[in-house]
Amino acid sequence: MAESRAELEKLWRERAGRFRREMMPYIRYMGQSGFPAFLSLVLIMAVISYTKLVVNPPADFPIGEIGVLVLTPFLCRSPLRTWLHPADVVYLMPREHQMGSYLSLSFKRSIKWSGVWAVIVFLLYTPLYSAVNAGGGSGAGVEAGNAGVLLLAFVCLVLRVINYWGAWQERRISWSGHRVFSRVLRWLVTALVIGGWLFAPLGQAVIINSLGLFVLGIMYRNAAKSSFPWERLIEEERGTRKRYYAFFSLFIDVPVLDNSISRRPYLTWLLRRIPYGQHSTFVYMYAASLLRTEIGGILLRIAALGCLVTYWAAEAATLSGWSAVFSIIVFGFVYSVQLGALRNINKYTVWRSIYPLPENGRIGQYLKVDAAALATGFVLLWLAAAVPLLLQGIFAPPAVAAVLLLLFVWRRPKVLRRKLLLEEEEE
Amino acid sequence: MAEMKVNVMTTILQVKKLTGGYSPKRPVLHEVDFEIRSGEMIGLIGLNGAGKSTTIKHILGLMTPHSGEVKVAGVTLEQSPEVYREAFAYVPESPALFDELTVEEHLRLSGMAYGVSGEQYDLRVEELLKEFQMLPKRKAFASHLSKGMKQKVMIMSALLASPPLYIIDEPFLGLDPLGIRSLLERLVEVKKSGAAILMSSHILSTVEAYCDRFIVMHGGAIAAQGELGDITAAAGMRDRDSGLEEAFYQLVSGGGK
Repeated sequence: MAESRAELEKLWRERAGRFRREMMPYIRYMGQSGFPAFLSLVLIMAVISYTKLVVNPPADFPIGEIGVLVLTPFLCRSPLRTWLHPADVVYLMPREHQMGSYLSLSFKRSIKWSGVWAVIVFLLYTPLYSAVNAGGGSGAGVEAGNAGVLLLAFVCLVLRVINYWGAWQERRISWSGHRVFSRVLRWLVTALVIGGWLFAPLGQAVIINSLGLFVLGIMYRNAAKSSFPWERLIEEERGTRKRYYAFFSLFIDVPVLDNSISRRPYLTWLLRRIPYGQHSTFVYMYAASLLRTEIGGILLRIAALGCLVTYWAAEAATLSGWSAVFSIIVFGFVYSVQLGALRNINKYTVWRSIYPLPENGRIGQYLKVDAAALATGFVLLWLAAAVPLLLQGIFAPPAVAAVLLLLFVWRRPKVLRRKLLLEEEEE
Repeated sequence: MAEMKVNVMTTILQVKKLTGGYSPKRPVLHEVDFEIRSGEMIGLIGLNGAGKSTTIKHILGLMTPHSGEVKVAGVTLEQSPEVYREAFAYVPESPALFDELTVEEHLRLSGMAYGVSGEQYDLRVEELLKEFQMLPKRKAFASHLSKGMKQKVMIMSALLASPPLYIIDEPFLGLDPLGIRSLLERLVEVKKSGAAILMSSHILSTVEAYCDRFIVMHGGAIAAQGELGDITAAAGMRDRDSGLEEAFYQLVSGGGK
């Protein structure tokens, strides 16, 4: 018995090692890409801004809201690397009763890493919290002194432990609807509890705490659960690996993994508007890929975040409005790079060779989809800057931004066509 | 446009002395030679590794012959890729679907690719969804379908295109009994309308019942081809009434001439 447990632990370690070795070359490529330098720059700028903020915080700084926004994800997210593979349903499932030791290594890893992140965020947050409160910006929540910070640390620790436990219970829940609901509820309850400690008086905070835990407890108790959620864990592992590859695909070609698909019914009308006809076959295929795969989701998030940041910069008219132009350029660039990944989806589908359609037509149709998506993102980013700036009577920055974006949209098909033809030859 | 109009026995697929494989040094296929005429259903049979799938890949143009040639609708792929490709529809052994498309969207994509007119598309799509019991699944994503349902999507896409030649690799894998029946009925129909079908399958009883001629492959070469009588004769069997299964066994186990 002990021997087979050791064997499973050995398997876990081997798999972890294999994954590290698998990632190593990609990390090297990323290192060569200049990305670490870019990241260092961002980090330095962040440290400077943070220090300034701690030394001289504005009186109306929303420290409570920031606390909820920043602490909640780091207390809730409980990723679990199990290295499980679809074939394990055949080969490891018979040993399910011994899998406890295997899984405990996954738990230890998860607790270690998400714990480290939570501590880092907490350590970054508390000086700011103390500084803002010392400046008279305190809410009704925990006091800013050492005792208050210690109390907050204790609450965060308890929340972190509950979230590890809750996340595992959710993985065991059989019905996906219940699972999603319970995850949303766990995040909400955590946010509420943190908010309670940061905003409400002690008595109320304790009541919010108890209520939240009670609701979660009831829900986990009553949901139908499996003892070992094989499929869920395999799916989660696949998703994690895909995210790694999606990240590295920004720097180098990576193995193609299955796409995860979202229906996005609010975008399906776009697909229906593509005219039915042979000349639109690949437009239809690539548009569906764009709207339904992860690329679509990432682009939506980049556009939303970009619009928000650009709007803030434009609204404040920082650097006479030029900071908004800078924001458009940064987010526009990231958006266009991410959009470029569309060509890797369905790259190896057999239908590309079998459909009775000319190959050069495919490239032309791909470029149409690319141009439409690029223009949409750019228009949104530009509007987020132009509307507030023009309303304030600032004209030069939005005009320059429009010219830059138009130049990019005009130039891109030529560059992309060359790249696609080159890739075709290499294949 | 790939519509099947003709009903005369014209040669739609010609495979001439085809030698090919994955590496030029080690050919898998050796001088494979056969042809298929319109209105014929041909059963391609052989053990695993006999060269059936490699033959199909060469016909599809996914592999380059070492020697010999493949002509579809009278042209090689190099001569006219569009004429060549629009003359056939393919149903692969493992369903190859787009995860991000629903069942109906797959049919639409196939209709677009094969240039099926809008009216024809509307007409056929309802008919096919109904016939293959897929109406309740028309909005389902491919990734949420069972293997059999995926196979149905492949088959429906091919039938929707209505080309002069169907290349079907192991069509019955995963299909439910109703699905198998619908497929066979449809194949008989398209055959009557003049289309040709090359079907690879291990279900010899079905192949025997539905196909007009048979190609038995063994070790990358054609061990026998023709009608049932030709196959039994090639297998060295005196009893001309013997079934395909026995003849096949004799041929691949070395009992034939």
